Amino acid sequence: MVAMMLVVFGVTALALFFAQRNMAENVKRDLQREFQSELASLHAMRDARHAALAELCRMLARKPRIHAALEDNALDLLYPSARDELRDILSPDDAARQEPGTGTLHARFYRFLDGEGNVMAPPTGQGAGQLSSAEEMQLDLKTLPPIPQTGYLAQSDQGLGETVEEVIAMPIVSTETGAPIAALVLGFKPMDLNGGRAETGIRSGIWQGGRLYLSAFDEVTRKALADRVTRDMLSAEHAEKSLTVEIDGSPHLMFYKLLNPASLFPHAYEVCVYPLADSISRQRRLFWQFTAVGGLLLLGAFVASRYLSIQLAVPVEKLAIDSEENRTQRQRAEVALELTHEELQRSARFSADASHQLKTPVTVLRAGLEELLAGEKLTPEAREEMSTLVHQTFRLTSIIEDLLLLSRMDAGRLQLDFSPVNLTQLLEAWLDDLGALPDAIDLKVETDYPPALFILGEKRYTMIILQNLMENARKYNRAGGSIRVAARAEEQWGVLVIGNTGRPIPPEARENIFQRFHRGGAGENVPGHGLGLNLARELARLHGGDLRLARSDGEWTEFEVRFRLVGPVSASTRTST
Amino acid sequence: MTTPRLALFIAALFWPLQLLWAAASIEGRVELPKARTAPVMNRRYEIVSKGGVLSTNPPLAVVYLEGVFPAPTNPALLQVTQKDMAFVPALLPIQAGTRVEFPNLDDTYHNIFSYSPAKRFDLGRYRPDERPIPSLVFDVPGLVVLRCDIHEHMRGLILVLATPYFVLTDPAGYYQLSGLPPGKYVLKAWVDSKTVLEHPVELQDGATLHLDFP
Repeated sequence: MVAMMLVVFGVTALALFFAQRNMAENVKRDLQREFQSELASLHAMRDARHAALAELCRMLARKPRIHAALEDNALDLLYPSARDELRDILSPDDAARQEPGTGTLHARFYRFLDGEGNVMAPPTGQGAGQLSSAEEMQLDLKTLPPIPQTGYLAQSDQGLGETVEEVIAMPIVSTETGAPIAALVLGFKPMDLNGGRAETGIRSGIWQGGRLYLSAFDEVTRKALADRVTRDMLSAEHAEKSLTVEIDGSPHLMFYKLLNPASLFPHAYEVCVYPLADSISRQRRLFWQFTAVGGLLLLGAFVASRYLSIQLAVPVEKLAIDSEENRTQRQRAEVALELTHEELQRSARFSADASHQLKTPVTVLRAGLEELLAGEKLTPEAREEMSTLVHQTFRLTSIIEDLLLLSRMDAGRLQLDFSPVNLTQLLEAWLDDLGALPDAIDLKVETDYPPALFILGEKRYTMIILQNLMENARKYNRAGGSIRVAARAEEQWGVLVIGNTGRPIPPEARENIFQRFHRGGAGENVPGHGLGLNLARELARLHGGDLRLARSDGEWTEFEVRFRLVGPVSASTRTST
Repeated sequence: MTTPRLALFIAALFWPLQLLWAAASIEGRVELPKARTAPVMNRRYEIVSKGGVLSTNPPLAVVYLEGVFPAPTNPALLQVTQKDMAFVPALLPIQAGTRVEFPNLDDTYHNIFSYSPAKRFDLGRYRPDERPIPSLVFDVPGLVVLRCDIHEHMRGLILVLATPYFVLTDPAGYYQLSGLPPGKYVLKAWVDSKTVLEHPVELQDGATLHLDFP
């Protein structure tokens, strides 16, 4: 049971461990995905804006007036023409400052590069956007690019700190020569991706020339981050890379990506910083939640396993106990059976032995008494006494024979040899004997039976039944009473009813009259030994029939015996009736 | 009849009448650059550019007599139309002081302008039904490149000359200038925006000079 509990416990703990690890992985992956998707949307916005700006520049670079100014030797008209063309996208400085976020496509300045790729200074007061000479120098490419170039121009803007501006240099290709003859450089404010997106947590800025332009952080942090990126890039130049950095003691995911590969302008990197504190705390919270839930689960598993093991153990134990009880019972039963068998054997043997051992002396005794009785020297009183003694020996023999018979039946050794027995004949024979009895009392005998009634039985045992019942009817009768003997065929039964007048058997005694050595309410003067009815019933049952007390009330007691009829004979009997 | 021919016709009509008593002629052939495409009958002329050099295609040249001549007392009125998104004629030589009208024969706006030093102008956008037809007087000699601000491919050339004696060659380069005043001049042939051939000539009364460029 303990092993089972341990297994359940172990499996649960293992499952929890893997689930937790899986969960942690998921959280990490989710974080990555979240970051990536934010980054992707950021890049998509940036790319879309960049594409729009590039298209704008391309369109401007095709303007006939600009071409005319460059190709038709009218450079003095270049900036004024451009100003006219750029009127829609060139935002006045103050407007852009008043409404940050609007006018993402508004250019802040524009310049032309000449055939050598150097800035053509705009005429003063032409509204080409203010740039210091240092800033203008950053725009010098020293050559004319055949394709558009993207760059980032660092500006030290009073009051706003350092900013960068996205610069697109669009070559102006002569419609006449097909070669670039100049370039239009437009400067845009970089898209402020931090404003309005603060809740998403991602901070985006631009690294260029060892400096980081990311307004969301203070000077010190910017410097540290810039140094980190610079260091990282010095070790190996990556187009993009992500790493983990510490900002103000909390971990951040940092991602940088080269913005202008293959550009004539200095390389600039987009730097995105994503705070991990939230996700770490979320992960930690998740871990604790998991641990708590896991603990509860483990506890549950423990309880469940215990319950389960108990549930499983109960029937096993019960089975064990049951089998133990069964074995004991069986053994006891076997012992009892053995004992019973032995007792039965012993009692049957005893009965047989006893009857034999008894019969012999009784016979010897009777022979002696009869010899004495035959003597002539006896007085009449002595002779009378002797006769009584002889009679007693007959009684003894009768008891012994009954006992012998019963013991044989008890041992199951009595087998009847069935043959048709004429019940009527037996009755008449007995009735004849009745009249010859010495102590015959004045009894009226009624008979009602057919001339012949054949039943299945063995004559000597059928006779014992009749004798016992007739004897009782006579013995328990009153003076001047009557006996009624009736027999009839009833379906497959031959029914014999023997009734007699006399005291009825009390109801409480009726249950016991068929038991051995029970004599009902008979007085001591009634001869008998209490075996008669028992013997008669046992024999009746051996005949395949039964004996029962039919009635006993008022002055009338009636016993009924059923025997099996012999089919054809009984039929003939019936016809004769 | 095309406008250049009309101009030639007018020139040929008037000048000989005025200078009938002292007329000289020059004829010859200007070696023209090869046409970029095979010549096609009735092919319209267009301004093409190669290496920043403007010329017509098929090539044409303008031959003119350079000198000091009085300004025209009765300036002619010429036209450069905008038709099928092109300037017609593609190349128009005029004497300085000539007024040129720019009728729009297309169903769309055009905005003719020029940044050429000889004539900077911007006619602004106008539709075909614009009246009066926008026109300009070109009084500074030089090449004026006509552009359309709306249709960036459109180019037209007006060659403003200080002389009344000029002629367009035929597609093969042949030219003939007559009714010329006798004297010493320089005969020039404008081949493209960067190429002007020249040859000193001395014209004599009644004489016909034969001169081939180069």
